[in-house]
Amino acid sequence: MNTIDTILQMKDLTIDIKIDEGTLNVVRGVQLDIKRNETLGLVGESGCGKSLTSKSILGINNKKCNSKGEILFQLNPEKSVDMLKLNPNGKAIKKIRGKEISMIFQEPLVAFSPLYTIGNQINECTRLHVTKDKVKSKALSIEMMEKVGIANASKRYDQYPHEFSGGMLQRAMIAMSLVSGPKLLIADEPTTALDVTIQAQILDLMNNLKKEMGMSILFITHDLGTVAKMCDRVAVMYLGKIVELAPVRSLYKTPLHPYTNGLLGSVHRIGTSREKRLYSIEGTVPLALNLPKGCGFYDRCPKKIKGICNQKQPELREKSEGHFVACFACEHEEAKHE
Amino acid sequence: MLKYTIKRIFLFIPTVLIISFVIFFIIQLPEGDFVSSYVARMQAEGEVFTAQDVADLRTQYGIDQPWLVQYFNWMEKIITKGDFGYSFAYARPVWSVIMDRLVLTIIVSLTILIFTYLVSIPIGLYSALHQYSVGDYFFTALGFLGMATPNFLLAIILMYVSFKWTGDPLLGLFSTEMLQEGVHLYNFGEFLQRMIIPTIVIGTAGTAGIIRTVRGQMLDEQTKQYTLTARAKGLPEYVIVYKYCLRAVLNPVASGLAKALSNIFSGSTISAIVMNLSIQGPVLYAALKSQDMYLAGTILLVQAVLVVIGTLLSDLALAWLDPRIRFDRKG
Amino acid sequence: MSLFKKKEKSEESYYLASQWTLIRKKLMAHKLAVTSMIVLGILYTTALFANFLAPYGLEDFSSDYKNATPTAIHWMKEGAFVGPHVYKMSYTMNKETFKREWEEDTSVMYPLKFFVKRKPYRLFGIIPSDVHLFGTEAIGDEEPPRILLFGGDNLGNDLFSRVLIGSQISLTIPFVGTLISFVLGVFLGGISGYFGGMVDNVIQRVIEVLSALPTIPLWMALSAAIPPDIPVAQMYLMITMIISLISWTGLARVVRGQFYALKNEDYIVAARIAGVSNMKIILKHMVPGFMSYLIVNLTLGIPNMIIGETSMSFLGLGMRSPATSWGVLLKETQDINSVAQYPWRLIPLIAVIVTVLAFNFLGDGMRDAADPYK
Repeated sequence: MNTIDTILQMKDLTIDIKIDEGTLNVVRGVQLDIKRNETLGLVGESGCGKSLTSKSILGINNKKCNSKGEILFQLNPEKSVDMLKLNPNGKAIKKIRGKEISMIFQEPLVAFSPLYTIGNQINECTRLHVTKDKVKSKALSIEMMEKVGIANASKRYDQYPHEFSGGMLQRAMIAMSLVSGPKLLIADEPTTALDVTIQAQILDLMNNLKKEMGMSILFITHDLGTVAKMCDRVAVMYLGKIVELAPVRSLYKTPLHPYTNGLLGSVHRIGTSREKRLYSIEGTVPLALNLPKGCGFYDRCPKKIKGICNQKQPELREKSEGHFVACFACEHEEAKHE
Repeated sequence: MLKYTIKRIFLFIPTVLIISFVIFFIIQLPEGDFVSSYVARMQAEGEVFTAQDVADLRTQYGIDQPWLVQYFNWMEKIITKGDFGYSFAYARPVWSVIMDRLVLTIIVSLTILIFTYLVSIPIGLYSALHQYSVGDYFFTALGFLGMATPNFLLAIILMYVSFKWTGDPLLGLFSTEMLQEGVHLYNFGEFLQRMIIPTIVIGTAGTAGIIRTVRGQMLDEQTKQYTLTARAKGLPEYVIVYKYCLRAVLNPVASGLAKALSNIFSGSTISAIVMNLSIQGPVLYAALKSQDMYLAGTILLVQAVLVVIGTLLSDLALAWLDPRIRFDRKG
Repeated sequence: MSLFKKKEKSEESYYLASQWTLIRKKLMAHKLAVTSMIVLGILYTTALFANFLAPYGLEDFSSDYKNATPTAIHWMKEGAFVGPHVYKMSYTMNKETFKREWEEDTSVMYPLKFFVKRKPYRLFGIIPSDVHLFGTEAIGDEEPPRILLFGGDNLGNDLFSRVLIGSQISLTIPFVGTLISFVLGVFLGGISGYFGGMVDNVIQRVIEVLSALPTIPLWMALSAAIPPDIPVAQMYLMITMIISLISWTGLARVVRGQFYALKNEDYIVAARIAGVSNMKIILKHMVPGFMSYLIVNLTLGIPNMIIGETSMSFLGLGMRSPATSWGVLLKETQDINSVAQYPWRLIPLIAVIVTVLAFNFLGDGMRDAADPYK
């Protein structure tokens, strides 16, 4: 693998949280790489560990979270850093946060402090990472606000978050995260809290800006519909593990993992008959406390093989070019075909 | 903001009127009145009163009428003439009795208020930023102890300690020399020294409360989404703490201003009796006991009005601090 | 396999546990709260049996023991272990300081006896008895020496007995007061938040006025209205009512806010559409929703009431002799000289501080336990 083409590489990332009842193994050995100029989708139900994975890249997880493994970030063609090795309060990581890697959050309404103007909070980023010059940085911040489609930007610069709508706030958030021209943007469910029409606008905006500015996006969502619109590749996460990783077309065409199948079955598509019921996955995600030694999806899986699936953990294997899956049942089927 | 301020000031008047009514109602509750307790005292000393004498006394003091009439007379004089009535025990107008003490009460209260904030905010911040550290435990323990000790008893303990150490329990705000010569620059230091124990005694309970608020709020702020955003932006930790969190912590502190003031009046009343401070507390106590009703009523009214002013100020401060309130009230 | 089952079960119980079970579990894990609960349990038990545990009743005093120093209990005599015993104390007046100087007369040894008969009392106010947990017995005709664990007061009363008997008042006033303010707070806050409009406005105004008045001056004014010569029980009730008069306002505000928020929740609207009566909606559907919050608030309100009662009695505006409460006992420490000379008079203060701290810690633990996000 050409490492220069890879901007971020997670090697065996695990995250544990200590609680009174024991240790939660929230993320369990994630291997993932994000390529230059690619949008990688990270899909899964709430609680599967996708948000924690993304936050651990920037080292902004809660203190109770204990991350292990490696997250290698390609700072420049010569040098890569392990984000987990950096002191989360140190200077080195602060030069990466917001400058090289930016993040957009799920709820724009609470992501801004209500006590300062939008302009103030965007400009903070500009001054910190782009230019110390007051006049220049303000002009730059306003320019960025215009770029993300905030009309009347110089006036709105002095307004407070409560005077913005949700969609506008998310635009402001995007402006804030892109003003420094980052190499990687982490978007943690950026459209979940928004209306459907506004969702589409925001997604278009992100796509356009990505092309214009040339960056990679780690797009986290539980909505497979938006994934199709945004991503080049998709990683499906279940119970702290990547269960399937594939180019977006390949995944939609030939989903391999039963869980992915279930997820796709629960998306309503135009063209399916009205009588056909949406598929729902039985059961709930188990608590990540004292996990069984077998596959995490075992209890809910329609294809489970007793004696194999509940005995050991499946590993990711390449099935076709770039299409990986971690499932014993899939291998079994394949063996039968041959 | 201006409109909001005017509206708030307008609301102030009916509140004060209701308060004055409630106070007067409470003040007249005890059986009998000043004359009956006065006559009882005088008779014990061998004076002879006829029923006519007693009735004359009542008419003279204007307390022969039903209490509602008395109330309206009292209010009328306050509003039209600024006359708060007559103190039977001091045989002087109420205002002249409390005037000099009022100034001192306000000075003492403000000093304690400032002390409370100056001490509690930094400690609260420290405790939150170093959660579960030795310092945090120490201050938390101290805070709990401060809250658990009734402040008049703290006064006794401190006076006892001071008595053992220096041979002077530091009773009162002024030494005998100061009372004769007045407070000047050369003995101002001693005055300050005499303020130490009252400040600690009356301020401790409030300080402990605010430390807890600040600490809790600060810990809350650390988990807020915008703090995470600020961190993800790469802001240095001190900017996050002082620009984002501290600013948000000030809100509950500002809104607690009136409560803090009310606590100081509460605490100072009883501590002043123990420590013999020449502020309003002891006068109120004596006035209540001897049923010197206009004096007691006026002191209570003044304190309540000051608290209402405190509420007003804290609401205005809150509006000034928080743009959401500021803009809401504009339209 | 059985292990797996068990795990499943524990997981299930975690999900299915009721709110109260979870709160109790979390509370039990809070060490300080549990310790406080034990301390409070001991305090309340001793208050219940105070008449039996106290060696002397309130009328059982002797002027020979005015301001006596705490009695020393000895275990050894001439180097040999003989069990707990005391000696007779006598005093001489120091001509310079006018202080009594106490001395032990070690010639006659009085062993400490259990279940000693002395003045009769009624246990729990009903059962007549004259047995006290411990004391001394006469040897010959002479009156046996008294055991004053906490020393004597200025009448010659045993301070230890008074602290015990005083706890009956000091520890129950906050409970009755809490009950009153709970009823007032939930009722007035409830109708204020549920009905809104005019009713709400009036109640809010009243709360505003009451909270503008500084607590202690208001208490003083109200206590001044209590006639001095009424029976103890009546005085007790009045003081309790005065103290709870202020504390309901905070509670009412909370309840009102909660009602305001809950009133438009779907399940309440559904109940109303279904024709459930207002009272039933309030009591069955709304109050349980924030009950834990109320209990925490009430627990944290108790310390204020204890301090309130102590302050009132301290000023001579609350409980008055012959009734005894910790505040009444502390009234005797008003004079700095008496504290300097008889420092054991501050012992009731320790009782106050311990109780207040215990309630604070317990309330804090309960708050943490009731917070679902912790």
